[in-house]
Amino acid sequence: MIAASLPIHRHTEAKLLVVDRTGSIRHRKRSEFVALLRPGDLVVANDAATLPASLSGQHLRSGRSIEARLAGHRSLSPDDSCRFSAVLFGEGDFRMRTEDRPLPPAVASGDWLVLGPLRARVEEVLGHPRLVTLNFNGSPDQIWEGLSHHGRPIQYSHVPTPLALWDVWTSIAGPPVAFEPPSAGFVLDWQTLASLRARAVQFATITHSAGISSTGDKELDALLPFDEPYRIPESTALAIRRTRERHGRISAIGTTVVRALEHAAGLDGVVRAGEGLATQRISAASRLRVVDAIFSGTHEPGTSHHDLLRAFTDDTTLSMVDQELDEHGYRTHEFGDSVFFERNWDRSCSEEAILASQDPRPDTGRVMQ
Amino acid sequence: MTNNSLRNPLAGLRVAITGGTSGLGLALVREMLGRAAEIAFVARGREGVERVVRQNCRAHGIVGDVSNKDDIHPLAIQIVGALGGLDVLVNSASDLGPAPLALLGDTPCEDLERALATNVLGPFRLTKALLGALASSAREGRGGVVLNVSSDAAINPYPRWGTYGASKAALHHLSRIWDAELEGEGIRFLSLDPGDMDTPLHALAVPDADPSELKRPETAARELADAIATVLSDRNGSRCARSEAAKETPYDSRQLAHSSSHGSEVVGG
Repeated sequence: MIAASLPIHRHTEAKLLVVDRTGSIRHRKRSEFVALLRPGDLVVANDAATLPASLSGQHLRSGRSIEARLAGHRSLSPDDSCRFSAVLFGEGDFRMRTEDRPLPPAVASGDWLVLGPLRARVEEVLGHPRLVTLNFNGSPDQIWEGLSHHGRPIQYSHVPTPLALWDVWTSIAGPPVAFEPPSAGFVLDWQTLASLRARAVQFATITHSAGISSTGDKELDALLPFDEPYRIPESTALAIRRTRERHGRISAIGTTVVRALEHAAGLDGVVRAGEGLATQRISAASRLRVVDAIFSGTHEPGTSHHDLLRAFTDDTTLSMVDQELDEHGYRTHEFGDSVFFERNWDRSCSEEAILASQDPRPDTGRVMQ
Repeated sequence: MTNNSLRNPLAGLRVAITGGTSGLGLALVREMLGRAAEIAFVARGREGVERVVRQNCRAHGIVGDVSNKDDIHPLAIQIVGALGGLDVLVNSASDLGPAPLALLGDTPCEDLERALATNVLGPFRLTKALLGALASSAREGRGGVVLNVSSDAAINPYPRWGTYGASKAALHHLSRIWDAELEGEGIRFLSLDPGDMDTPLHALAVPDADPSELKRPETAARELADAIATVLSDRNGSRCARSEAAKETPYDSRQLAHSSSHGSEVVGG
C-alpha cells in the first residue's frame, strides 16, 4: 500500500473497504461511513488525546544525544505522570526511518537523561537496550508542563512536514494519555457525531492509552502492543448493555477500543465500568465477546493491528482484502484510508449476536456501490 | 446522586479558568475552590501563577497565553492532564484594547488585533481543543459547561469601548451559536455579563471611577458560579425538565439574567 503523507484527518476522497459478515467485500467512500450503521447500533471510540511523546535530549553519563519516545504507563491517574516506559533512539531525527536509526548510547539503571526542562532517571532496562522505564523528577504539574512544551508528537518518516499536536489530536480528544494517535478516530468530527444522532445511532467513548505502533526494531515490535491502561465510564458500560438488550451492534472505532472492551468483558460478555490494564493480544484465536464490527485504518500484514483483524474474519477473506487494498490504491498509516469489518457470522459467539444477524430490518448500509 | 451534589453541584467537578491571577478570574478561582471544585487556572505571568498557587495550594497553576495559538495545545494537555478530565471551562482572560480607551478612529490596528486574539480567537481555540473532554464529561452526566465572560459593551454601542465591545460581541455570538450546535452533545454555553467590577481591567479603562460604587469581583464570581451551578443541577436533577425549560426560555433572556442594571455608560469585565 501507499503511505499517506499528508496529515489530513478527513480527506474528501478517502476510501473505505467494507467486509460484511458473510465475507463479501465492497468499496465505499469513507464519507458514507454513517450509512453503514443501523438505528439502535452503538459506536464506541477512544477519547484519548495524543501526548507529545518524543523527547530529545542528552544521556548525561556519555554526553551523547538521545531521543526518548514515551511508550506506555501503568495507570491513567493524573498524578501518575512521573513513570513511563520509553523506547530510546540514538542520533538522528524523524526524517530517518526508525529502522535506520543508530542504537542509543548504552544506558544502565540509575543513569540520568536531560530532556529539555525535564530530568528523568532510568529506573530499569527492560531486557532490550532500547526499552527502559523512566522516572521523571518533579511534581506532576511540573512534568505535565515540561512534556507539553518540550515534547513533540511522534513523527513519521513518510510524512515530510513535522507534525504539530493539532495534526494528531482527534476531534473528540480528551485526556492526554495516548502515545500515538488513536487514528481511526480521525473519521469523527462534530458533524459526523450529529449525523450518527440523526440516524438514531448511539455514541459512547472509552479512554485507552494507545501505545506506540512500531519502533522499527523487529525484536521490540514483536512485543507490541505493550500493556495499555484503559477506563470505561459507567455511561459507556450502560450503553453497551442497552445496545445488547435491543439487539443492536457494537462498532468499535479503532483497534484500541476492541482491546479495551474485550479485556473489560467477563466470560459472560458483560462490559464492566472502571479502570483496567489490557494485556492481551487479539488475533485469530481470540473469541470476541463484545465487538460486532470494527472501523480501522488499513494495516499491513505482520503488524499487531493487522493480526487483530483476524479475530473478525478468516484468513482467506483477509488476504483477499489485502489484495483489494493494493489493487485499488488504498493509502496506509495514520492519515490513510479505512476499513470496516463486520465480525464474520461464524465468529459470533453470543446469542444476541446471532439474533442480531437475523434482524429482519432493512439494512440500508449494505447497498452495493 | 448525593445530597451534597444536589446542594453544591460544583463539588468535585473539574474546572478550568483563564485569567486566573487577577480580577474576576482570581475571584472565580477562590470561589470555585470554596465550592470544593478541582481547579486548574491559566495566566501569562509565571510570578503571578506561582503566587496564586502559594495562596491556594489545591489549585493547579498553568503558565500560558491564550492569545497565542502555539500555547493552546500545551494548555489543554496541562489542564486535562492535571485534572484527569474537564467538566467546566471559564474563559475569563480579557484584553481591554487601547488604554486609555479610544475612539475606533484613533485605535491602533494592533490593539484591535490583540483584543480579538485574546477575547475571541483564544476562547475559540481553547474551547475547540477542550471540546472532546467537555463532551465526554457531558456523556458521563458530570458537566460540560462553558462560561464565556461577556459585558454589556457586547450589546450596547458605547463610544470609546469599540475594541472591547466588538470583541465581546463576537464572543457572545460565538457562545450562542456553539450552544445551539452542541446542545445534542450535552455541552451548554453561557455568556454572562458580570457587571462593572473593581478590577485591574476596569481601573485601566476608567482610572477615576470610585471603587466603592463598583461591584466587588467576589460578588460577581459568586453570581457566575451560581449560574453554572444552576445549569449543572438542572441537568443532574432532570434532563427532561431542563430541555423543556430551555425551549421556553429564549437564550438572550437567560444570558442577561446577571447583567448589570445601572444606566451609566461605564461597563467593565
